[in-house]
Amino acid sequence: MKQAFLLGNGAMALGLLEAGCQVLTSYPGTPSSEILPETVRFAKAANLNTVIEWSVNEKVAFDNAFAAAISGKRAACCMKMVGLNVAADSFMSAAYIGNIGGLVVISCDDPGPHSSQTEQDSRFMARIAKVPVLDPASPLEARAMIKTAFEISEEFQVPVLVRPAIRICHARQNITYGDLKNNDTPAVFKREPTRWASTPKFRFLQHKALNEKHVKIAEKFNTLVPYNRHTIQTGQTFALGIAAGGVPSAVVTDLFDECNRTDIPLLKLGAPYPFPEKLAGQFMDACDRVLVIEETDTVIEYMLQDRHKTWGRLTGHVPMEGELVPEKIEAILNQALVESSLPPLSDTDSTKEGFALAASLDLPVRKPTLCPGCPHRASFYAIRKAVPKAIYPSDIGCYTLGSNLGGVDTVLDMGAGITLASGFWHAFHQDGEDKPIVATMGDSTFFHSGTTGLINAVYNDARFVLVILDNGSTAMTGMQPAITQGVRVDGRKGNAIALETIVKGCGVNYIQVVDPYDIDHTIDEIKKAHAWALSPEGGIAVIISRHPCVIGLRDQALPEIFAVEITDECDDCGLCHLRFECPAMVRNPEKKKTQINPVLCSGCGVCLHICPKHAVQTVS
Amino acid sequence: MKTCNFVLSGLGGQGILFMTKILAQTALNKGYNILGAETHGMAQRGGSVVSHLKIGDAGSSLIRAGAGDFLISMDEAEAYRYLPWVRPGGMVFANASADGFPDHRVKQYLAEYKITAFATEAGKTALELGAPRSTNLAMVAFFAAFGQGPLDADALRQTVASVSPDPVKQVNLNIFDLCHEQGKKLC
Repeated sequence: MKQAFLLGNGAMALGLLEAGCQVLTSYPGTPSSEILPETVRFAKAANLNTVIEWSVNEKVAFDNAFAAAISGKRAACCMKMVGLNVAADSFMSAAYIGNIGGLVVISCDDPGPHSSQTEQDSRFMARIAKVPVLDPASPLEARAMIKTAFEISEEFQVPVLVRPAIRICHARQNITYGDLKNNDTPAVFKREPTRWASTPKFRFLQHKALNEKHVKIAEKFNTLVPYNRHTIQTGQTFALGIAAGGVPSAVVTDLFDECNRTDIPLLKLGAPYPFPEKLAGQFMDACDRVLVIEETDTVIEYMLQDRHKTWGRLTGHVPMEGELVPEKIEAILNQALVESSLPPLSDTDSTKEGFALAASLDLPVRKPTLCPGCPHRASFYAIRKAVPKAIYPSDIGCYTLGSNLGGVDTVLDMGAGITLASGFWHAFHQDGEDKPIVATMGDSTFFHSGTTGLINAVYNDARFVLVILDNGSTAMTGMQPAITQGVRVDGRKGNAIALETIVKGCGVNYIQVVDPYDIDHTIDEIKKAHAWALSPEGGIAVIISRHPCVIGLRDQALPEIFAVEITDECDDCGLCHLRFECPAMVRNPEKKKTQINPVLCSGCGVCLHICPKHAVQTVS
Repeated sequence: MKTCNFVLSGLGGQGILFMTKILAQTALNKGYNILGAETHGMAQRGGSVVSHLKIGDAGSSLIRAGAGDFLISMDEAEAYRYLPWVRPGGMVFANASADGFPDHRVKQYLAEYKITAFATEAGKTALELGAPRSTNLAMVAFFAAFGQGPLDADALRQTVASVSPDPVKQVNLNIFDLCHEQGKKLC
């Protein structure tokens, strides 16, 4: 046996390979991003033939895995929860059609949210799609659940969703594991058009069959120990019981252990849907009240049928939004215990004093910023200089942080940088106004969801400048290789696709490539593109702002390092740290001048060109 | 089930995850189970970063506010931000100038909850020895000097030696030794 200190995502990677997953597809997104690279790492070390790909988006990932599963292989796809929205069309349909080999979808939730646009609960997506869902409480349980998910998926011929929350994905735990083996199940596709290409008439029958499967799966979930269980013996009664699933169930267990409380029963629902009615019913019957603690929504709470006994979000006992961190769960439990005339776990007032003290100190607000040397910073600076009074629709990636530079006005979802730009254009054009619009989108997002919107915008004659921020990687989620680089996740060669080719293929006739580090030239090109876009013969103008990511592709990004210093010319105008927002440039309040933080400075040298007083110079 | 709980704080890019790795690897070498929680993604880009590490048997990864045994911070302000996580009787170690640390506004709180707080200019030491990015392990060395918790200085130093890439190994060990000495003078 070997031992490793693994992320929860690494534990799930092990779980996938231990379960004989033959095909794994994904699109990166926090907190799911490390599952696929960790699977590659383990598969390589064990010399497995697993097919593993970064797909262009989550829907594409799902479909590729689905094809393998209906060919009899074990397949999985993983994504963050908003990625499941992108794959939802396929996901819903696949539940009706079903599969042959096991099909597991891992959708990672982000209560908080820490790195996402919503706090949506993937268990609800499972409910809408009528797909069984497993909700792990720890990295070790997540690893084990993946095997169970494959087994259920094959037994009932239905996809199974595993929903780890961020505290599973980005927990780290020491995990032991043994040898990994190939699963040699061959691909066999049996033609059956009434199933795989079913028309509405057959869909009705498939829906009926799915509902019948659900009754059987719910029955199985009643006894699916250790994921679903309670601690009540026959004949016992309690004033208060706790129903919990996923991460909160582990927090509650740890809290009860720590406080030596054995007087409060726990109903753990790691497999909450289809709902194990019988198991939950036993628990409800034995308790006067049941407090539901779950993330992030009210899945268990809705399904517990006795509303008069149930406490949770709907009764105001649990906050409707935000992560259920341990101190919050402690406070929720204390309140419920006191309301049930039971002694609380602890006196939580001491932590309140600590939080009040920290809040009173006026600590610096640390908003996330683009990294020192990030080429996006130069791009946004240039956009603001070139077209200062525009609407700036943007998108999802590191460059969302361009909002700090005033270069991001909207962020809706993947691809909306372009679709909102065309929408703004038509809304203003209707009033006779040619509104200046400069949209931004990263290279990976463009491949994910940009092309359809761009084709639509060209076809319908919208006018704007699109700046594609091409840093050659999917940076925010951990530097996954970009399609433009022609390298696949396992190091094998892929067929690189140039952005220029795609943009031209979408019908765009104005394409310029710039290096944003050459800031004056970039400003000029954006100005020219803007003028052309609004001219009578114009159209959509695309600027590809190309410079490698300063973190992921450091050597390529910084062929020359500029050590810089601030001269006496600095008049403390603050442009460099307030507008240009370089984290390596900070105000020295005593000298009343900017100073360079040498630990943070990347040496990109862009600041040499932005200071209005020319007070930045290279160290002689 | 009592675990030893470390809260590590600082800013994105300061190597908090590497610091976690040093402590975790040392604990692993000593045969402990470990469970931790990290910050990734958007929250990591220059923001306030915190890493939780429980040494011993635990089922959930986050340390509850008021349950941290040790807070090691790469930044003075980030030490104050995570002060609510330190348990009564716990200890705080910060990369800060010893003059003026801790801030007079927190002294009464620390006294009330018997929390002891120590500072060293680990960043300055690391910079002077030519490896400013090794401030994280300098803080580990400073902590180790106080001999608290299940991870001893020798074991931590050995982990630093084993995880440091060759070109910086000696510098890292020099930084470790110097900050360890600085800590020794305070305890």
